[in-house]
Amino acid sequence: MKKIEAIIKPFKLDDVKEALNELGIQGMTVSEVKGYGRQKGHKEIYRGAEYIVDFIPKIKIEVVVEDGMVEQTIERICTAAKTGKLGDGKIFVVPIEQVIRVRTGERGKDAI
Amino acid sequence: MADEHPAILLKKKRKRLITEGLKTNCAELIRLLSDMLDAYFCEVYEKSIVGPTMRIERNPYALVALGGYGRREECVQSDVDLLFLFDRNVPENGEALIREIIYPLWDIGVTVGHATRSIDESLELAATDLDTFTAMLDSRLICGMSPLFSTFMERFRREVILPNQDRWIETIVKSCRERRSRFGDSAYLLEPNIKEGVGSLRDYHTFRWMAMILSEVRDIRDLEYYGYVSSREYGRLIDALNWLWIVRNHLHDIAGRKCDRLYFEYQPRVARRLGFIEGKNGQPVEQMLSKVHSAMEWLNQLVQIGIREIDANRSSSRNPRSVTKTTSSDIYADRGTLHFSTSEAIVRHPVLLIRIFEESAKQGLPLCIDARRLVQEFLYLVNEAFLRMPGALKAFESILMASRVEVNVLEEMASSGMLERLIPEFTSIRDRIQYDRYHLFSVDAHSLKTVQAIKSFGAEQTKEWCSLCAELYRDISSHRKWLLWAALLHDIGKGVQSDNHSRKGAEIARSILNRLGYRKRDIDTVAFLIEHHLLLIKTATRRDINDEEVAITCGRTVNNVERLKMLYLLTVADSMSTGPKAWNEWTAALLRDLFFKVLNIVERKELAGYQVVRDMARKKAQLFDAAAGRIDRNELERIYGWMSPRYLLYAEIPQILEHVDLYRGLESRPFIWRIQTDVDTSTRTVTICARDRPGLFSKIAGVLTLNGMNILNAQVFTWRNNTALDIFHVSPPVDAYFEGERWMRAERNLEAALKEQLDLPAAIAEKMASYGSLPPPGDRRPPRVKVDNTESSFFTIIEVFSDDFPGLLFWVTDAIFRLRLDIWLAKISTKVDQILDVFYVRDFDGQKADAPEQVEEIQKTILDTLDCIMKKGGKS
Repeated sequence: MKKIEAIIKPFKLDDVKEALNELGIQGMTVSEVKGYGRQKGHKEIYRGAEYIVDFIPKIKIEVVVEDGMVEQTIERICTAAKTGKLGDGKIFVVPIEQVIRVRTGERGKDAI
Repeated sequence: MADEHPAILLKKKRKRLITEGLKTNCAELIRLLSDMLDAYFCEVYEKSIVGPTMRIERNPYALVALGGYGRREECVQSDVDLLFLFDRNVPENGEALIREIIYPLWDIGVTVGHATRSIDESLELAATDLDTFTAMLDSRLICGMSPLFSTFMERFRREVILPNQDRWIETIVKSCRERRSRFGDSAYLLEPNIKEGVGSLRDYHTFRWMAMILSEVRDIRDLEYYGYVSSREYGRLIDALNWLWIVRNHLHDIAGRKCDRLYFEYQPRVARRLGFIEGKNGQPVEQMLSKVHSAMEWLNQLVQIGIREIDANRSSSRNPRSVTKTTSSDIYADRGTLHFSTSEAIVRHPVLLIRIFEESAKQGLPLCIDARRLVQEFLYLVNEAFLRMPGALKAFESILMASRVEVNVLEEMASSGMLERLIPEFTSIRDRIQYDRYHLFSVDAHSLKTVQAIKSFGAEQTKEWCSLCAELYRDISSHRKWLLWAALLHDIGKGVQSDNHSRKGAEIARSILNRLGYRKRDIDTVAFLIEHHLLLIKTATRRDINDEEVAITCGRTVNNVERLKMLYLLTVADSMSTGPKAWNEWTAALLRDLFFKVLNIVERKELAGYQVVRDMARKKAQLFDAAAGRIDRNELERIYGWMSPRYLLYAEIPQILEHVDLYRGLESRPFIWRIQTDVDTSTRTVTICARDRPGLFSKIAGVLTLNGMNILNAQVFTWRNNTALDIFHVSPPVDAYFEGERWMRAERNLEAALKEQLDLPAAIAEKMASYGSLPPPGDRRPPRVKVDNTESSFFTIIEVFSDDFPGLLFWVTDAIFRLRLDIWLAKISTKVDQILDVFYVRDFDGQKADAPEQVEEIQKTILDTLDCIMKKGGKS
């Protein structure tokens, strides 16, 4: 099992969610996050006061999938999240040791 | 059957009663359940074996109901609180009595809490423990020695309550505040706690306890008798309580336990059982929650006013009257509240009904409870024509605009029913709930909160967390009235069915403001703000805000700096008043970023503004007319979609048509060009369509220079599908005979250069050496380079001023290419021998080059390049 963590542009959330639903991925965790990479922040000046945007608002999506699904998932996310411009985001793939569904105690792929 | 234990019978009867009571939504169920328990206790008391022995031992007892059971408010899963009250001491065989009376109840699943105490013990405990104290306030004799109970009650009043009335009131108020803050979290708005929350049954209990401490109130009806509520309020109180009890009973039954919080998972079932069906008032759950909120809000008001009033009365017995006049002779302030001088005055001058609220807003004082009651009594004098009475609208405006926030006068007006009478349209959004986890408040409460949030931008402390809002609020000070009207009415469209509540709301607001006689210009402003109140937040969260076009589209909708600022403030206030899911630092950052980008565009008036919008519409129509018959309309529409706003603004119609033509012929080639001889001049126009790539511009300029064409001016555009469209005006080579061949060679050169098979800098340097035509250094003005990052939020603008010389444009654009910058738009113009080049550039990642060191590097690189060329007389 792998956890796929994707950082995407906020307005791409619906597209990515839809793409993952089409793959049959039902559950995901979505967070509003801020950060920067090559796309840097900037500052605006209004009436002498500086308004600095140092961390750029992004969306983080986390899904856990079976190993066999990893490539497809990555591909779908890339297609859906891509604008071709800077700041389209990144995807991290992390190995997962174990998944447990709290309600039933199921483990492994049954619990995904 | 006759031998069945009373508890078994009770179980059966209870089950039947509950089933029947829930089915008929019977508000009396709680009392019937209490009575049924009473009957059980009476029966077991009579049949008791242990009991009579106590009488023989001259230690008789009374069975007393405490707390909710004492009030005869027994819900389906409520606990039963009992006191076995003895005269002097609790006898040894008390245990046996409990076994006899209580254990059977446990066996049938009723939770019973019991205590066995003597009168002295009871009084002692009540004097030190608030919960025991309030439980005993509600105590009621079930059966047994009634003189014992009378003595107990009499001593309780004389020894426990009366000596410490003030302290008890204070303790109860304090614990009420603590409870309300514990359960006052916004999450409880979505899943209200009917027993403990703000406006819950506990609030009613609190109110009742205070009345009991101060007067001989024994029953809910006494509240009216002793003047704690008016007759109208009593009716409303009973309605609210009955409704909450019915809901609570269903909740207990569905949850199967003593659950007092209306959790999401239970809401649909409760709503269905209560008979709500989907209709124009929304989903069943929304309708149910709306009624729950309405009842709880009313109880909330009651307890707040009650506490205030009781406090005021207590202090009035200590403090002397301190009457102060107000601006109206019929309204005065006394001990921190506002009063009408007489009720007749209201009949004579109905406008007083709004004047008292105006005073309240001005002085930050609430209305006293009697004044509130008078307002409600005389509400029939208020209708939608009321605000047209002399002074009335002005009073309302000063309430709307009052900057004091300690008393929320609009909320007071809403809860007293005044607001709805003045603006009947408000009725449609009253207590309207939107069933999701996003909207925390009913629509009317949210609207009033939005007004309050906007006012808070004017408060000193706002500067700390949102200096931008404070700054903008100051900027639009002359328009505040309209912004506040818009805030008050922004969701008014949610009260009626439509597919677009913003547009509908604008329409309704127009009719309201028209009725009030405002000027069209101002009505337009309010209607605009309401119609577009979601524009910024939707764009910020659902669109690519780093796309200039998105900001331009926004800018063109708003078109006006003042309106944009007001719209931003309304958006922030609206989001803040919706709930924590709608407003956080993350959303705030997105919204603010978009705001600055749109502000920039609207302020410059270059790409947005009424004039521009009109011109662009005209231009589009002209373009399609001119293309009619030549280019398929649908295809043109598709290509038109790629044209950037700047392109459409600056390219002329014949040029655009030329580009469309070229583009259709481009196919897979890297570029395609067309050379025309201008009719009345000897210059040539080169129109180029190419796949855009970094360095394209410098290569074209270089090839033209290499072939002896002097560039007089040029324009460079980029379409959104990465197609470059350039227009060069050049003077032809001196040797006119072989011009055609020259152009062919230039085309081959460009092909080679794009394939990186031609070293343009070297070739041009060689060519320049043969000219040797630069003026001597003494006559030259030094070139200047200006880098601007404020003009546009999306591009860095480089301006180069220089004396002209062949190859200049190539060297400048080549330097820009070497700086790893992409030219998106350029205007090159020559004035006599001075040239002015303007380039809109971004780095290869699509970002502005706005770091100070980048700006410095741009200037240095271009100047060094020019310097070097000029020194060498054109030799690189």
